[in-house]
Amino acid sequence: MDPLPLPTSLAEVEALIRALYQPNPPETISRIQEVLQRLQRSPEGWQLAQSLIAHPEDNIRFYAALTLIVKLNRDSAGLDEDDAKLLLENIITWTIQSLSDGAAPFVTKKLCSALITYFVLFSRLWPACVRHFIYCLDIGRGVPVENLDDALATEILVGNLDSQKLKVAIWFVTSLVEEVGKTDMNSIKYADVHQGLSKNGQDVTCLLARGFAPPVDEIGLKTQEETLACYQAWILYAQRASSNTDLLVTPLRQLVDPAMQCFTNEHLFQATAELFSDVLQNYSGFFTKANYDALASFFESQWAAAHYQQILHGNHREDGISFGLLMLAYGDAQVQALLEGTDDRSQRFLESLSGLLAADGYLVGDDTIFVPALEFWSTFIETMIDCTFSEDGQSPIWKPYAEQHLKSVVTNSWRKIQWPPAETFAEWDSSERTAFNDARKDVADMLQSVFTLEGLDLISFFANLFLQALASQSWAELEATAFCLGALSDCISEDSKYDPELSKVFASPFFELLGQGQAVIPLRLRQTGLSLIERYNEYFERHAEYLPNALNLLFAAVGDSVLGGPSARSISTLCSSCRSTLTGEAGTFIRHYQDIRGRQVLDTLAEEKIVLAVASIIQSITDENEKLQKFGELYAIFKKDFEFAVQLRSQPELMDLSNPNVLRGLDPPNPSTVPPVEDISLHIALRSMRCIASMSKGMQDVKEYPVDLENDTQAARTSEKLAALQADIVNLIIGVQQVFSTTGEIVEIICNILRAGFSETEPGPFVFPAEVITNYFVQQPFETPRLGTLLSTACSFIGSLYRGPKAIIPNQLVRLVPWVIALLQNLSEPEEDTEISQNGICLIDKVLSKYPEVLFQVQPQQMLEFFFMFTLKVLNGKEPLPKHAAADFWSDFITLKPPSPELSAQVSSAMTHLGPLLAQTLINNIGGNAARSELDRLSEPLKKLVTQHVQAQAWLEGALTRTDDDGNGGGFPSAAAERVSMQERAAFLKKVVGLRGARQTNQVVREFWLLCRGSSFAYVS
Amino acid sequence: MGSTLCQNRLIEERKQWRKDHPFGFWAKPQKNAQGVLDMKIWECAIPGKKDTIWEGGQFKLQITFPDEYPTKPPKCKFVPPLFHPNVYPSGTVCLSILNEEEAWKPAITLKQILLGVQDLLNDPNPESPAQAEAYNLFKKDRAEYERRIKRIVRENAAP
Repeated sequence: MDPLPLPTSLAEVEALIRALYQPNPPETISRIQEVLQRLQRSPEGWQLAQSLIAHPEDNIRFYAALTLIVKLNRDSAGLDEDDAKLLLENIITWTIQSLSDGAAPFVTKKLCSALITYFVLFSRLWPACVRHFIYCLDIGRGVPVENLDDALATEILVGNLDSQKLKVAIWFVTSLVEEVGKTDMNSIKYADVHQGLSKNGQDVTCLLARGFAPPVDEIGLKTQEETLACYQAWILYAQRASSNTDLLVTPLRQLVDPAMQCFTNEHLFQATAELFSDVLQNYSGFFTKANYDALASFFESQWAAAHYQQILHGNHREDGISFGLLMLAYGDAQVQALLEGTDDRSQRFLESLSGLLAADGYLVGDDTIFVPALEFWSTFIETMIDCTFSEDGQSPIWKPYAEQHLKSVVTNSWRKIQWPPAETFAEWDSSERTAFNDARKDVADMLQSVFTLEGLDLISFFANLFLQALASQSWAELEATAFCLGALSDCISEDSKYDPELSKVFASPFFELLGQGQAVIPLRLRQTGLSLIERYNEYFERHAEYLPNALNLLFAAVGDSVLGGPSARSISTLCSSCRSTLTGEAGTFIRHYQDIRGRQVLDTLAEEKIVLAVASIIQSITDENEKLQKFGELYAIFKKDFEFAVQLRSQPELMDLSNPNVLRGLDPPNPSTVPPVEDISLHIALRSMRCIASMSKGMQDVKEYPVDLENDTQAARTSEKLAALQADIVNLIIGVQQVFSTTGEIVEIICNILRAGFSETEPGPFVFPAEVITNYFVQQPFETPRLGTLLSTACSFIGSLYRGPKAIIPNQLVRLVPWVIALLQNLSEPEEDTEISQNGICLIDKVLSKYPEVLFQVQPQQMLEFFFMFTLKVLNGKEPLPKHAAADFWSDFITLKPPSPELSAQVSSAMTHLGPLLAQTLINNIGGNAARSELDRLSEPLKKLVTQHVQAQAWLEGALTRTDDDGNGGGFPSAAAERVSMQERAAFLKKVVGLRGARQTNQVVREFWLLCRGSSFAYVS
Repeated sequence: MGSTLCQNRLIEERKQWRKDHPFGFWAKPQKNAQGVLDMKIWECAIPGKKDTIWEGGQFKLQITFPDEYPTKPPKCKFVPPLFHPNVYPSGTVCLSILNEEEAWKPAITLKQILLGVQDLLNDPNPESPAQAEAYNLFKKDRAEYERRIKRIVRENAAP
């Protein structure tokens, strides 16, 4: 659409402005805007504003004021000093006129904005802007700034203003501080403006004092409210402009008392409370000691007492909680003084603050003051801890006073976190429920802090409360008590000093009741009760007498849809940590597991936890025969599962959805359509493998044994029976992998099973002989899914070999090295599979670091050559992870200290050939092709090269002078060749060589890289 | 002096966090053996974002603030380490806003950091891989990657 033509008459302009404020399609509006803006910006803009500023229509007048602002911002540089002074007088006159001829407030306010724009631009021409504006208001028109010399004192001028003029003056100073506050205080450009504004502090105070005066009419009341907001804006500005304290803060402080008078006016209470809360929270130093005293007596007034009662018993949603928040803000600002003040007034105030934790109604929908009040008390307790621990052994005199308050805080909070009746809870929406739970967590947090101060007393308090609530069958109270005790478990569980108190709880009849199920005890209480058992597992280790009962309870809950998961987790925590006291129960628990399995299909994660639990008990059985027998029982279950999976796969007719063994293969448990037999079979196998992996974790020993590096291998200490079991497990693993050869998940689980054995030092079913593991690895072809994960497992295997007897190591490495290199050779390029590349290089690096001769003996010899070239290719590539591995490999290779002269000769001949290539690769990266985050890693081989090899300088020089455009990828990047001269490259090399591997090399590398990339790549910081 | 700046900023961060924090998140300074707060180490929990495969999970994150904070960024570490392309095997999170040389700015708040890490969960950055396994699966076998995430989410279910 073509732009509109410029209007030729004022009437046309007026019509356009009218159209602008009328409902019109957006494109019409934007066309009008466009043409009006062109007009505003033209030299005629001033004229336009002046002609329309007295227009009877508000919209047109508003637009004129806006035009003034636009002109000031765009063209003020064109005004000379006299013009500018005259303009100020005019705008002030127009503003006062707008007031007297009844223009809408938005017009007057816009004109005030124009005045502020003027002040920001010409603050030096209008230093006493507030006093001058008030003076002009008094006179009724704009007058020269110089006339101010003969004017009366500001107090008198302010006293003369009628309520309309007073209102406008307050608008002006409010907008003044807000707008000036938006400009950058640290910028030199605005330094004078901020300085100038501060000098008006005393005049503003005079004006606001009048604004706070008791109102005589409606306008006056409204003005009082606006005065409060204005005062707040000035205080917050004063805080930011900290350098002008005396100019601003001192006068503004005179207004605290008048502002406080507004509290008791019910219209102004809300705004006043917000002002005081805001300043207490963000600028508590603004108030003087006298102010704080005044606030404290205010809190003791009748009026305050009535408001306090309203917070406790009123409706928070309808009446708000401003008064409570004000009390809390005061408490926060004065927390230290209140803590240490043993006087009546402080004590009474703290009492009322702990009372805020006991308002009527449920959290957090009805009672909205609890959470902020708890926040205050958390701060109070933290302050108390800081003060208590910094006192030198002396118990401070305030401590008994403070502890008295803590008692109410704990009791009130305990009451507040009790669950509502189920029907009430059901009415809450999800955010209310989450907020309720969050508040419980906050209480748990607070209790942990209180424990720091009160220790045993706090535990006794809750233990006794527990027994009381149990006796009276107050389930909600009992649940809250159990929750609080649970929260304290992290603080005390490892210390037997608290056991007598805890035994009150765990020996109580509660746990018998818990066993009787839902009919007796509500679900939530069961949940909290069961988790209490888990949280205190260390207690049960010390008190095995309660353990079987506790575990029976947990097993009984495993089948429950809500409690199943947490119960299984508790079982695994308890069994794992109390394993040695439970060895006699292994058989019972296996039966428990079989029973549950027979009844229903367990959640997979819960099942794995239970299997882990049982296995950890088996691990602790000391008699080898007994141990293997129990292990065999459990293992047989999963072996059978797998056999069934294979059978089902080959005989789909066995598919029968009433068979619980088939149901184990449904994932998710209740699918909308029955999946194909192969899927079901696979899932049965996966489940059984996962359970075996859980067994392997459970069988890990928790004790540590000394390792004899020179003598027996674990295999030598492995009994025949154990060896047979191991062979069976390995066969099973291989079998599963064969049947489900394309499933990566199977390989992943096998890796987990293998890894579980690597950390073990004593023989065990999963601690396979090294040869067996090596055999397994080297038989894995390139096609195996998740090969990268297998390679990473092989790396861990080598790590475990290094921690064991030395004799068997070389034989394994000799077979693993060619296997790995052959796998790498299968990659079409190194970046085809970064996981294989990375882990393959890591593995060879691991071999190199301890057994370099194995690497150099690899047959055929070409394999080694291939590997070197492979790592260089990786270094030239873009994949960060293999690149890191390759950089590490080269760092190690360069610094290799070969154990024999023969190997030494081999290494150095290899280096003669590879050195120049490595140098080219490094230079290519450092010359800009590396990512910035790779530079530190790549600096390592560079530093090593410089310190270890006499020819390094020549190699690097060669690399810096040839460019990489010959297709081999090495050498200085041609993209940077023009930017970075030969001299600059030589200077870089000189620095690197001169630093001889020192840490500053990294910085030099970084700078050179930036230079090569060009400055546009530098991060703007 | 630097340390005071760090301490004050952390106190302010705590205040702000208490006043306003995103739904389902959790962050608090660790307590030392005496129960005194150590403002330099925070324990946090990040929920998986709604309508992503991470929904329903809650992941524990430890944030360590250096003495030079906020000039230098804090370090974020999943405990235990998380299976994710941009999480190092140690658990440390690799994210541009946590990198001094990249997008870290002293004005970045704790809330922004935690929301940033939450975003990263479902929106990994393949440009800066930190662990091979998750990165490789993410790139080469998205179905398997997602299966794995779903399992991790169940193992770390939000309470």
